[in-house]
Amino acid sequence: MNCEEFELIGLDAGSGQVSAAEEAAAAEHSSACAKCAALAESWDMARNELSFYKDATQAASAPARVEMRLLQELRAQKRPHERVRRAGIMAAWGLAVAASIVGVVSWQTWQAGKHQPLQPKINTLAVNTTTQAEQSSDTVIVADEDSGAFTPLPGAIPVAAEDGSIYQVRMQRASLGVLGLPVNDDGASEWINVDLLVADDGTPQGVRLHEDATNSGTIQ
Amino acid sequence: MKVPDERDDVLLRRAAKGDESAFTVLYRRHQASLFRYSLRVTGSAWAAEEIVQDVFMTLIRQPKKYDAEKGEVGAFLFGVTRNRVMKYLERTPRELPLDSQLESGATKEPVDVLTPAFWAERRERVEQVREAVQSLPAEFREAVVLCELEELSYEEAAQRSGCPIGTIRSRLHRGRALLMARLELLRDVPRRASVGG
Repeated sequence: MNCEEFELIGLDAGSGQVSAAEEAAAAEHSSACAKCAALAESWDMARNELSFYKDATQAASAPARVEMRLLQELRAQKRPHERVRRAGIMAAWGLAVAASIVGVVSWQTWQAGKHQPLQPKINTLAVNTTTQAEQSSDTVIVADEDSGAFTPLPGAIPVAAEDGSIYQVRMQRASLGVLGLPVNDDGASEWINVDLLVADDGTPQGVRLHEDATNSGTIQ
Repeated sequence: MKVPDERDDVLLRRAAKGDESAFTVLYRRHQASLFRYSLRVTGSAWAAEEIVQDVFMTLIRQPKKYDAEKGEVGAFLFGVTRNRVMKYLERTPRELPLDSQLESGATKEPVDVLTPAFWAERRERVEQVREAVQSLPAEFREAVVLCELEELSYEEAAQRSGCPIGTIRSRLHRGRALLMARLELLRDVPRRASVGG
C-alpha cells in the first residue's frame, strides 16, 4: 500500500468498511511511513471528537410541540372530509327512508289490488244500484212474487226467480248499459223502474222492466 | 386496534384518512432520525425542528406524493428531509471563519440538546466539533454526517444522497481532510489565546 491508497483506505480502518487484509496493509504502511502515521493519529483524534458530538446529538429529537402542531394540522385537514362524509351519510339515510316508504306504500297498494279483483264490478253495481235507489223516492224494495220473464244479463247463468232475490230499482235507462244491455241513445236519461234478479252470491242475473218502462221500450 | 406494529405504508394510508393514532405512530417512528440528521447537517436545532415539521406537514397535506413503488416511507421521508436541508443550506449564508468568531468572543447558537450532565470541557469541545462540521461545504458535510455520525455504510449513504458510491467516498475523503484541519486549528485556538492573554 502506498501513501495515496492509505489516505483513501487507511482512515476507514476499524470502521468495518474495509477488509481485514486492507486493514493489515494499512497498519503495515503506517508503521513504515511517518506522514501516514501522523495522518492516522490526527484522524483518530478527530474521530474521537466526532464521537463526542455524535453522542451529544444521539438522543436528539423534535420537541413535543412539533407533534402537537402536526396533529392540529391533521385535524384541520380531516374536518372538510368529515363534513362531506357526514353529509353523505345523511343523504344515504334520507334516501333509504324514502325508498322504504315508497316500498311499503307500493306493497300495500299491490296487496289491496290483489285481494279485490272482483269487488270493483260488484261495487260498481252496488253503487249504481244504491245510488239509483237513493235517488228513487221508494229506495230499494224487495219485489213480491212476479210471474213476468226476466231478460238474462250477458254471461249470467240462468237462475230461477225463486233461487234469487228480486229488487225493484229506479234507475236511469243508461244505467242498463252497465249491466251489459244495449241501450238506445234516445231517452237514455229517462228514469225507469226495473226489477233486478240477484243470485245468492250477489251477482245480478236478469232484469225485468216494469210496464211504464216497457212502454218507452228499450230492451230488445 | 393494533397500531404500533403496522407497516409504514399502512400507517400512512390510515393517517391520510385522518387516523391520528396511525399518524402519531408513524411520526414517532421517524422523527428522531430525521431531526438528528437535520440537526447534524444544519447545526441548528431550530432549523431541524422547522424542517421536520415541514416534512410531516407535506405528508399530511399531500400524502399521495409518496409512491410505494419507488421505495419505503422511511426513504421517502429522508429524501424530503434532505431536500429541505439542502434548501436551508443554500439560503443560509456561510458562517464566519471559526477562529475569528472565537477570538471575537461571539457565541454561536448552542445545540439545545446538550444537557448539564456534560462536562464543561467536553461541551466546549463538542461545540467546536459542531462548528467544524458546519464549516464544511454542504456535500462534504453530508458525507461526514451520514458515514461518521449516522454510521451508514458507503452504499447506504450513496442511496440516501442519490449519488454513486465512488462520489460518496471521494466526498468523505475530502470532508475528513477538511475536518481534521479545522479541528487542528480549533485545538490551537485556546493555546494561542492563552499565550496572547
